[in-house]
Amino acid sequence: MNPSVMTPRRAVGLCILIALLAAPATAASVERTLTSSGNDLTVTLTVTDITVGGIVETIPDGCTWAGTDHPENRTRVSGQKVAFAVVGEEAVRYRLQGPAEAGEALAGTWEDLETGESGAVGSDGPGTPGEAAQTTVPSTPGFEWAAALAALVVLCVRRCGR
Amino acid sequence: MTHKLLLLVCCIFLLAGTAAAETVPCDSDGDGTLTASELATAILDSLDARFMGGTVEVPSSDDLRDAAFVYEHWDGRALTITDSSGRETTLSRPLRKIAVFNSDTIEMMRSIGVESDRVVGVSKYTLEDPTYFPEYRGKANLGSTWAPDYEQAAAVRPDAVFLYATISQSSCDEIEETLSSIDPGIRFFRFDSYRPTAYADEVRTMGALLGKEEGAERFLAFHGSVMDTVAGRIASIPADERVSVYLENWDDYKSAGNGSGYDEKIGLAGGRNIFADTAVEYPAVDPEAVISRNPDVIVKIVGAGELVFGGYGDDDPAPFEEVTRAIEDRPVWDRIDAVRDGRVHVIHSDVIGGPEYFIGVAYMAKWFYPDLFPDLDPRAVHQQYLSEFQRLDYDLEEHGAFVYPV
Repeated sequence: MNPSVMTPRRAVGLCILIALLAAPATAASVERTLTSSGNDLTVTLTVTDITVGGIVETIPDGCTWAGTDHPENRTRVSGQKVAFAVVGEEAVRYRLQGPAEAGEALAGTWEDLETGESGAVGSDGPGTPGEAAQTTVPSTPGFEWAAALAALVVLCVRRCGR
Repeated sequence: MTHKLLLLVCCIFLLAGTAAAETVPCDSDGDGTLTASELATAILDSLDARFMGGTVEVPSSDDLRDAAFVYEHWDGRALTITDSSGRETTLSRPLRKIAVFNSDTIEMMRSIGVESDRVVGVSKYTLEDPTYFPEYRGKANLGSTWAPDYEQAAAVRPDAVFLYATISQSSCDEIEETLSSIDPGIRFFRFDSYRPTAYADEVRTMGALLGKEEGAERFLAFHGSVMDTVAGRIASIPADERVSVYLENWDDYKSAGNGSGYDEKIGLAGGRNIFADTAVEYPAVDPEAVISRNPDVIVKIVGAGELVFGGYGDDDPAPFEEVTRAIEDRPVWDRIDAVRDGRVHVIHSDVIGGPEYFIGVAYMAKWFYPDLFPDLDPRAVHQQYLSEFQRLDYDLEEHGAFVYPV
């Protein structure tokens, strides 16, 4: 395979291709659907293209937690926040007590742990990968420098040994 | 002594980053299997700490991400794979930073959907081919198997390095030895990625290794549809009725002997190699021997040696025609059936020598038995491979030169 002359047309094509390749391969998302009956609110989170991930919902003032169909060991409630671990589920359903209009104030965020993508519940698509993941262990400072130094040392040792 | 001490210090420093790599992340009971429950707990702890004010000790986002991968792709357990050199390697975390010395392997990885951002370094041959590998532009240049750039390879801190399995074994061994001495945490994998007998197994192993099982199966279904079609239709042709073939590579009178890659590909396409009785892998043959063995078909390979033209970066088919005419004009070769019957074909090495060999096999099967394969369109196979599996915006109607006659 030989390098070719880069014509303007080919260059445009290449730019488009690179842009396409750089785009996320999947369209992970979590959409929220509300149904109400009297003072009971049922919230259904539809999970698309997330196999392993997490969702955190913030329950608005005026609403109280009333339970979920999601497995107990994949759900955690703390104050007005509720967290769901998603391990293969395509939907998460939970219930609140409160006025129907309070449901409009629900807010949430999701993370796809495999891809590092994250986004807001109900939004159209993913946000910046890793945006909501704030516990990333920073890389060791100077590591690349040390690796390069090690390489030089090895080469030096090998050459001296010949 | 000073050098050795410094090397030891560097190795200890580098080892510190990989010391915890042997256990499955988030496997809280340490039994070697990450269960859904353990994974869910780790996810909830992490969300709790970051969004809900929790104070429990939480896994790092790297651990959590690796755990998600191990659970999803390896059933929550460490993966033991055997590469094409026969070496077993056990991994408890995914490979995130890959360095690849073998451009055939880069192509195989792309076939199964491996993201280019996981690749931190590639060979100089990959970088010298921006038409075919545009997404690798700007990656670290590792040099070649024969002249590796160790400084670059170490600087990108790969967690895995991919090398050839059966080509240049001593050079590959030296690369392993040197890089291991710099960073003992690096894993090495040997894949050829072009040999028909190992191809499907390598694709599957690569899929499991890199978490692209579905992509591997999707690609193998495509690959198998071509190879099975050819194999199924030629199966009924008795051995002594098979089309006899003289294959010549880019060097005049350099053919393919018994057990060589090209001999195998002729067989896959249903042909009978006229020099299959030659023990030398790529023998120089006597022109008289070709005349006396009188092949039904001649296949000439271009794209290397003195015949560097065609392929993806060259749209001009004229040199292919010139090569055909030159073969037909060889002294006394007009007595050969293949020449008399107009069955001299030229094919570019890109579509017969590497991971795209199955496209070449499709072309040859059609050339050998046109009546058996009226519905086989090798160019359409080639286009589908480029568009669907290589994800290239490359139109064979407009670009490239791969075979003659078209």
